Amino acid sequence: MTSLVTATGVTKNFGSFTAVDNVSFEIESGRILGLIGPNGAGKTTLLKALLGLTDCEGQLSVMGLDPFKQRKKLMQNICFIADVAVLPRWIKVSQLLDYVEAVHPNFSREKANELLQQTKIMAHSKVKELSKGMVTQLHLSIIMSIDAKLLILDEPTLGLDIIFRKEFYANLLNDYFDEERTILVTTHQVEEVENLLTDIMFINDGRILLDSPMEALSDTYTEIAVSGDDADRARGLGPIAEGQMFGKSVMLFEGISREHLEEFGDLRTPSVADLFVAKVKGARK
Amino acid sequence: MIMHQLALVKREIWEHRSIYVTPAAIAVVVSLGVLAMLMFASGFAAELDVAIFGAQNLAGDPERKAVLTGFFLGTSWVFIIALAILTVFYCLDSLYAERKDKSILFWRSLPVTDAETVVSKLITAIFVIPLVTVIGIVATHLINLIIVSIWVSIKGGDAGVLIWSSVSLLDNWLAAFIVVIASGIWMSPFIGWFLLVSAYTKRSPLLMAFMPLVLIGLLEGIILRSHMFAENVLGRGDGLPLFRTVDIEKFFDEEQWRIAEDATSLLVHLDVVQFLTSPAMWAGVLVCGLLSTAAIYVRRYRDES
Repeated sequence: MTSLVTATGVTKNFGSFTAVDNVSFEIESGRILGLIGPNGAGKTTLLKALLGLTDCEGQLSVMGLDPFKQRKKLMQNICFIADVAVLPRWIKVSQLLDYVEAVHPNFSREKANELLQQTKIMAHSKVKELSKGMVTQLHLSIIMSIDAKLLILDEPTLGLDIIFRKEFYANLLNDYFDEERTILVTTHQVEEVENLLTDIMFINDGRILLDSPMEALSDTYTEIAVSGDDADRARGLGPIAEGQMFGKSVMLFEGISREHLEEFGDLRTPSVADLFVAKVKGARK
Repeated sequence: MIMHQLALVKREIWEHRSIYVTPAAIAVVVSLGVLAMLMFASGFAAELDVAIFGAQNLAGDPERKAVLTGFFLGTSWVFIIALAILTVFYCLDSLYAERKDKSILFWRSLPVTDAETVVSKLITAIFVIPLVTVIGIVATHLINLIIVSIWVSIKGGDAGVLIWSSVSLLDNWLAAFIVVIASGIWMSPFIGWFLLVSAYTKRSPLLMAFMPLVLIGLLEGIILRSHMFAENVLGRGDGLPLFRTVDIEKFFDEEQWRIAEDATSLLVHLDVVQFLTSPAMWAGVLVCGLLSTAAIYVRRYRDES
């Protein structure tokens, strides 16, 4: 496995506010990493640093390049969709394709036409005439026609209805993703991407709370539902979070082996959403 | 690199359709004006026997040429004034609109540097808009010469002699081309300034561009009691070092009320060498370069979130 992204001690300050605080991580190629965090956690700032849109302190290398200093070269191998619909409203679909074809060496016009034929988007339409869902489809079609090693998606499905959201991720997995490619995605709708991810990272207040492959989550995190006396005994093992459901206490444990917990009943691997809430609350205590 | 620039400049023309719509609109308006003028003139058929431009019972050849050249020149000036206004609005919009509609995030997701982008806007402002203007001027002249020719022919005049051989088309067009391109280069420090304001300002670029210029001029007048800024910066448009000092007497013979033959050449009034060797012109180019570089840095370092 080769590291596509290496970050060591990355920090970004805006005046006295620290948006990203001494963050270190690696992303290996061929993975789909979900970056999850509440609003203002530093997700977008971190992505911007990776994309060379903002400078930062610390060491940051993306495909062996310094993103801020070698942005043009980097952009030949990275694609990104930002969290707001950013396609210019005045442009025609055909003009947009002409332009990308002219400036991007790894763009395939045939592939883009092929993808667009599956949609209702017309070549002579202007972006402002398209619905929000169609604009995202158009953007994704362009992005998927670019042979890039790293795809960064910042809240790509924000404001879209459920049908478009499902289609978006299905297209991404079926038509785009392969071992050569790496995807980094941020989203609020954790449930929707949970099953796609190979790796997950939680970020809050500019710090990383969790950085783990998905398959390792079940080794580290366990959820049990207990009642009565069992609850007190289980509490003795130090759950990182506890909640009530149907009269039972639902506890989430970190780093407690499954053997210790089996006596209390059925063990489950917590959902990413529950784990996220537990981690963020834990960090705030 | 060149292919990139071509694509980028094309993109500018797609976005700013006024670059070609404005000259086209002027061409239509001027042509309609000429038609109206010809109709009006036909009411005075006794005084002007064929039409204003072809009147053969009035004065001599040089006079008829002068009238046509005057018409050419007047049309060109309408275009040049429109060019100035168009360029100001284009520059102020060029780096501001993309931030306002957030499309800058899309443009910057492609392998194009900020320098390439700003340079494409500079090329559009200094060369593309003027070139389109020259095309507009030439087209308008041709359209109107054809209209006038048809009119003169209907009235029984010889359009070939009265109209087409009376004007030095190439002389006029070359002069228009030189004046338009030279004006763009001469006024380039303003173009650089507008680009910088466009890249920097958070709101009302027009106000932000002109307010400092007016304020500096005013403050200098009040505090220093001098007008250096007003004369050299605000008044720069008057100082284009391209024109020869015109000796009226050379062209106009007062005693006979005749116009000299070569008065109808516009090129004789232009001094390209004087323009190219003007320190003020090169100083302006330098200032334009510095301000544009600043615009590149603002686009690169500004955080859009």
